Amino acid sequence: MPLTPSALVLAAALAVSAAAFVTLRRRLGRPLPAPFAEPRGSAAAGERWALTAAFLPWNKESSRHHAASYAAGLLLHTAIAAMVARLLWSLTGRPLPRPLELALAALLATGLACGLALFAKRLANPALRALSVPEDYAANLLVGAALAGGLAACLDPRALPAFQWIGAALALYAPLGKLRHMVFLVTSRRFWGRFFGRRGVKPAPPVAGEAPRG
Amino acid sequence: MAERMDDAARRALAALEDRLDERTAAYLNACVRCGLCADSCHVFLATGDPETIPAKKAERVARLYRRYHTLLGRIAPRFAGAEDASDEALDALATAAFGRCTVCGRCALHCSVGLDPAAILRFARLMAQAAGRVPKGIQASIDLARATGNNMGIAREDVIETLSWLEEDLRDTTGDASIQLPVDRPGARVYYVLNPRELKFFPLSISAAGMIFHAAGENWTLSSTDFDLTNYGMFAADEAAAGEFSGRIVRRAEELGVEELVVAECGHGYRALRWEAPEWLGRRLPFRVTSFVEVMARYLAEGRLALDPSRNPARVTLHDPCNLVRHGGVIEEQRRVLRAAVADFVEMTPNRLDNYCCGGGGGLLAASEHAAARLEAGRPKADQIRATGAKVVAAPCHNCIDQLGEINRHYKLGVEVKTIAEIVADALTTGGPG
Repeated sequence: MPLTPSALVLAAALAVSAAAFVTLRRRLGRPLPAPFAEPRGSAAAGERWALTAAFLPWNKESSRHHAASYAAGLLLHTAIAAMVARLLWSLTGRPLPRPLELALAALLATGLACGLALFAKRLANPALRALSVPEDYAANLLVGAALAGGLAACLDPRALPAFQWIGAALALYAPLGKLRHMVFLVTSRRFWGRFFGRRGVKPAPPVAGEAPRG
Repeated sequence: MAERMDDAARRALAALEDRLDERTAAYLNACVRCGLCADSCHVFLATGDPETIPAKKAERVARLYRRYHTLLGRIAPRFAGAEDASDEALDALATAAFGRCTVCGRCALHCSVGLDPAAILRFARLMAQAAGRVPKGIQASIDLARATGNNMGIAREDVIETLSWLEEDLRDTTGDASIQLPVDRPGARVYYVLNPRELKFFPLSISAAGMIFHAAGENWTLSSTDFDLTNYGMFAADEAAAGEFSGRIVRRAEELGVEELVVAECGHGYRALRWEAPEWLGRRLPFRVTSFVEVMARYLAEGRLALDPSRNPARVTLHDPCNLVRHGGVIEEQRRVLRAAVADFVEMTPNRLDNYCCGGGGGLLAASEHAAARLEAGRPKADQIRATGAKVVAAPCHNCIDQLGEINRHYKLGVEVKTIAEIVADALTTGGPG
């Protein structure tokens, strides 16, 4: 099946975005030298914890105290991942099975609702408003538009080109602003985990007299 | 003569350009300003001021980073939340880094994204330092330590005289003529370093360490010259000064040929020597670096100390110094020691990694311009202490002890603040005062 203009633009945008992220990561900052201090714990164990159990809502006070916001954030990001997968699948030109399309639509609708709720919270909460910059709202709206586009495309294939155009805009914008956290979140968690893992702080403190883990 | 602003800005931006490491840059790029870190910060809990939200404080660096290191920040700074390195921006950066943050790292452990705002604030200090905006008191401590070898300018003769007097007093108190506070002893296994405030204001904690080492049969020594474990260079993110201060102790330890450098109860001193010094000096250290808290726990585990907890009948609670616990990994040892040394030990809520900063960390005690804010930031700690009903607060950090003493008076807590060594010394049944 020949690629439509919107699919071609989307493919190009995704390639540009990927290249931009690779460049950003390479030019991130001065490489960290290998540490000299003797470890107290395991950097690898800390990194594993940061990328797995640290996501569990009871493991961090911020998620325990703000369960609704944390849950909304998780649902939003799950929906975004599904939306990106749907976008990539659209490049194959093949339809998804209808039940899967409908399940996806439900997820995207939930994610969209969560995104809008977080947007409203940012507007309504004075402390959060003080913390925000204009781009926070713009990025939230752009993601919301992509989720809405994905939702529409799941429900009606005629909306697919529009979804692909929005997807292309999202891909091109992602390396520029706060949406770049989608890549740097993983990088950040890895550094975080290695730092606190090495110091024996996470995932669990060692017992005195015990050999350093790892 | 007032310095031209653009010189300071140029130096701050050069620091941003040259010194930003990939970890801190990843943190700057990962923050989504969700604000969920707000109530992890004792300063925000005490003030409710949005400027004290960890992400907001980190934004002071992020705004400059975006302006000079991102495309969007260059072409649409207002939209991207980027700003020029103006005089106001650098002042705000320094205030956020030195006046509103103790770099305690509690926000780091609770950031839902998984980044470390405290690391960003440490970088903010580095930029502020490059721009000549280190609080005067911190800079004065650095200058004095550079000039005299310790941050209080104590002369070698005074050190020897104080230790000699303390040794005599110890012998009188314990009735044990063999007890010593050895100084510059060659062949010692352990080199014990102090906070100079102990020599000036808290000599009992030195006596306590002497009793404990004596009871454990340790072969140890103090130094009459390189005794200062503090490192205000670390507070100021002045790595040249920080490396110089820790380098003195490392060289002295190597001269003495010790197996173990034991750091008296001091959070930042422990962190500086245990974790940061090898990085500043660019090499592994040929001896072990431990906190005296770890040493006491080891002696107890080895059966080298006999303690009678009934000698400490009052209820005792424990403060967790940020640099010892969250940034040092020494978490359970102090608890094991206290459980063996006191009759009634009660934890604060929250405790361990989640304990709140006393409010005086990060060198804030030396920054008199932020004194009022420091006392206000101590309120969550005061509330924690009051809730325990304890009469004694054990704090394995002299910096924390100073702040806890102040909040004790300010919030009328009516507690006594002690080092763990002092509590242990009171419970000693061999070599102790009883």
